[in-house]
Amino acid sequence: MNNLHGILFAYHCNPRLRELTEHRTTSSIPFGGRYRIIDFMLSSYVNAGITDVGVILHESYQSLLDHLGSGKNWDLSRIRGGLKILPPFAYAKKRDGGKFRGEMEALAGVYTYLQQIHQDYVILGTGDLVANLPVGDIFKAHLDSGADITAVCVRPPVGEPEYTTYFSIGPNGLVSDVSCGGGNSLPYESLDVYILSKSLLLSLTDYCASHNLYGFSKDVLQNMGGTLSISPYIFQGYAARIQSSAAYYAKSMELFSPKVRSSLFHADHPIRTKVRSDPSTYYGPEAKPRNCLAADGCIIEGEVENSILFRGVRIEKDVRVKNCILLQDTVIRSGAILNCVIADKDVVINQGRMLMGHDSYPLVLAKDSVI
Amino acid sequence: MHMKKECIAMLLAGGQGSRLCALTSKVAKPAVPFGGKYRIIDFPLSNCVNSGIDTVGVLTQYQPLELSSYIGIGQPWDLDRTLGGVHILPPYVREGSKGTWYKGTANAIYQNMGFIAQFDPDYVLVLSGDHIYKMDYSVLLAHHKRSKAACTISVLEVPMEEASRFGIMNVDKEDFIYEFEEKPKKPKSNLASMGIYCFTWKKLRQYLIADEANPASSNDFGGDVIPAMLSAGEKISAYRFSGYWKDVGTIVSLWDANMDMLSVRSGVRLYDDTWPVYCRTPTMPPQLIGSGAVISHSLVTCGSEVYGKVENSVLFHSVRVEPGAEIRYSILMPGAVVESGAVVEYAILAENTKVGTGAHVGASPDQTPAEDWGVTVLGSGVAVPGGGTVPPKAMLEQTEKEGIR
Repeated sequence: MNNLHGILFAYHCNPRLRELTEHRTTSSIPFGGRYRIIDFMLSSYVNAGITDVGVILHESYQSLLDHLGSGKNWDLSRIRGGLKILPPFAYAKKRDGGKFRGEMEALAGVYTYLQQIHQDYVILGTGDLVANLPVGDIFKAHLDSGADITAVCVRPPVGEPEYTTYFSIGPNGLVSDVSCGGGNSLPYESLDVYILSKSLLLSLTDYCASHNLYGFSKDVLQNMGGTLSISPYIFQGYAARIQSSAAYYAKSMELFSPKVRSSLFHADHPIRTKVRSDPSTYYGPEAKPRNCLAADGCIIEGEVENSILFRGVRIEKDVRVKNCILLQDTVIRSGAILNCVIADKDVVINQGRMLMGHDSYPLVLAKDSVI
Repeated sequence: MHMKKECIAMLLAGGQGSRLCALTSKVAKPAVPFGGKYRIIDFPLSNCVNSGIDTVGVLTQYQPLELSSYIGIGQPWDLDRTLGGVHILPPYVREGSKGTWYKGTANAIYQNMGFIAQFDPDYVLVLSGDHIYKMDYSVLLAHHKRSKAACTISVLEVPMEEASRFGIMNVDKEDFIYEFEEKPKKPKSNLASMGIYCFTWKKLRQYLIADEANPASSNDFGGDVIPAMLSAGEKISAYRFSGYWKDVGTIVSLWDANMDMLSVRSGVRLYDDTWPVYCRTPTMPPQLIGSGAVISHSLVTCGSEVYGKVENSVLFHSVRVEPGAEIRYSILMPGAVVESGAVVEYAILAENTKVGTGAHVGASPDQTPAEDWGVTVLGSGVAVPGGGTVPPKAMLEQTEKEGIR
C-alpha cells in the first residue's frame, strides 16, 4: 500500500455547525465519546498501510494541530514522510488570505507539496466524514478498473443536499452523470473520497489554477466528466457527514445502534485518536446510567440516559441528563436537569439549572460557557 | 555525548510475584493489570516523570515479554527521550560466558553499574515495581541531600500492632536509622520500609562491589547491603512518607488495593490531575452501558459493554457483562466475559477469561465459613462452562488442553 498517498481536506468550518466550529474546523469536532471527526479518515488511511498523509488547513486550526501533534498516535511520526500539516502559505500570498473556494484551489495552494509526493496514486478525503473505509479495497478496485478516478459513494443519502455531490451510474458501470450544489436527483451520493494518479492530480490542479476553476465536484467531475472515466466504489458500511449541528446530534445518537458501532469500530481496523491518560470511569453508589456511551475519566453520580459522555465529564448527585452529548471535561453540578443539550468542552452547568433543547434543534453550549 | 544526570532511577521489575499465583504465571508482577486502566508499574514510572526524573532503568528477568512490550520506548510516560528515557535491562551474558541471572536485588543493580555510569549520576533511586502510591521523589532526594546520608530509605508509619509484618527501621532522634529488623516479633518502632531507596551513587557503587565480593551474601538490598552499610557506620536516613501506599504482593492485597481505587476522592487519588498516573491506553471505543444495566460504586473502562448488574467492582477494558449477569466485589481484567445469568463475586478474573451462562464464581464471606473463604481467581484464558461453580478461594489456571483449543 506504499504506492498511495493520503490528502485530507481539513479546512472546512461549516457555519451550520454553529458553536461547535467557533474555535475549530469541522474536522476537529469531538465525535463519538473520544474521537475527533478527522480520526475516522486518518485511521482509514493508516489502517490501509498509507504512510504519508498531507492535511490541508486554512483557519481556526489550533485545535486540530493540538489534536494531531506529530502524528504519533496514528504512527505517522516518521523520519521519511509521515504526517505533514499544510497551512495555506502559498495561497495566502495570492489572494490575501480569503477562504478556499474549493478543493482544487486548496490543492493549488500546496502545489509544491503535491509535486514531491513519491507515490504514484493519491487519495483525497474530506474532514467531515465519519466512516471506517476499506481504503485498501478501494485502491485495489481503482487499479483493477483502470478508470481515471474512483469515487467512493453510498446508496442511501447521508449528507445535506446543498453540500453534496450525487452520481448516476451508466450501463458500463461508470459514473454517467454528476449533480452538485442542488437538489438530490441522482441515486448515488458521493462521500467526497477519490483516488486518482498523482500525474492526473497535478495536471488537473494546473488546469484548474490557470482557468480560475476551484471545485473538484463541479469543475472536475461534472465539467470534465466527458473526458475522464469515473468509476464508482459503492461503500456498504456506515457513513455520516457532519454538516450541521442537527446532523451532528442525529449522527451521534446513531452510535447507539449496534450495527452502526460494528461498522465503525472493529479491532482489526481500530479508529485511532490522541490518547489521554485518564483513569477508568467511576459510577457512584447512586449513579443511574442507562443506554450511555462514556469515555474514560468520568465521574458519574447522577442519572444519565441516552447520552454520550466524553473524557473527564463530571455528573454530580441528583442530576438528570437525558439525550445529551457532553464533550470533554463538562461539569454538571447537583440538581441540574438537561435534555437534548450539546455541551462543548469545559462547560459548567451550575446547581439546579434546567436546560432543554429538542432533538431537531439541540441546545448547543459554546466551549467554556458557565450556566 | 555529555549525559550527566543528577539522579536516575532503577526500577526492580524482575520478580516473579509467586504469591500472585495464577495472575503471574505468564507475566511479571509489575505488568499485572491494576485499577481499571493501569499496570502496577505505571505508578513508579509516573512518579519518576512527575518528579522530574527522566532516566529510568527497568530491571527485568521473569517473563519479560509482556512487560517489555508494554513499556516499549516509554512514550505513554513521556520517557521516549534522546538523552535518558526508559531502558529495559535484562540480565546478559558477558565475556567468557560469565554473567548470570540476577541473583538478588543488589546483584541486579551491580550487573548494571555500566548503565548507571553512562549518566554519571550523583544519586540513584532504587524502586520496586509492586507498590501502588504517588510520591514526589524530588522531595525524597532533597531530604537525602539535606541529611548528607549515604542512603535514605522511605518509611511509612504503620499501626504498631501490624509492625511485625514489615521490615522495620529503628531510628535515632534525628531519624537516622541505627537498626533494621525484618518482620520483628517485638517491634521497637512502627516505621516500615517502603522498598524505596535513595543512594549517593559513589557509596552505592562501593557497597555493591563489596557485596559482590562477599560469597556469603545473598545480594539483597534489605538483607545484605543495608546491614553492611549500617555496620560500617554509614549514615542512613529515614524519610517519613505520609499518604496512600500499598504493597500488592498477594491476592488479597491486590484485591484490596483495587477496591481502594473505588474511593475516588481518597486513597491514591487517581483523578487528581496535578499528579497524573500515565498508562498505555488501548485503542478502544467508549464503554457502552445498556438500557437494562445497573452499575454502582464501580469503575468501568473503554471498550467494555455492560448490560447486567455491576456493584463494587473494577472492570478493565473490553469486558462484557451480559444481561442478567451479576458482578459484585470483583475485578475483571481486559477481555473478561460474563455471560447472561452468571454470578461473579469476590473474584479476580484475569485477562480473556469467560464465565458461561448461569455459572457461579466465588462467594460472599457472609455465606461462607471464615476458614473456607477467600478471593477466587481465574487465571488468564480460563473458561468456566455454563452452569459451573467455582468455590471461594479457588485458583484456576488454564490447562494445556484449553491452551491448544
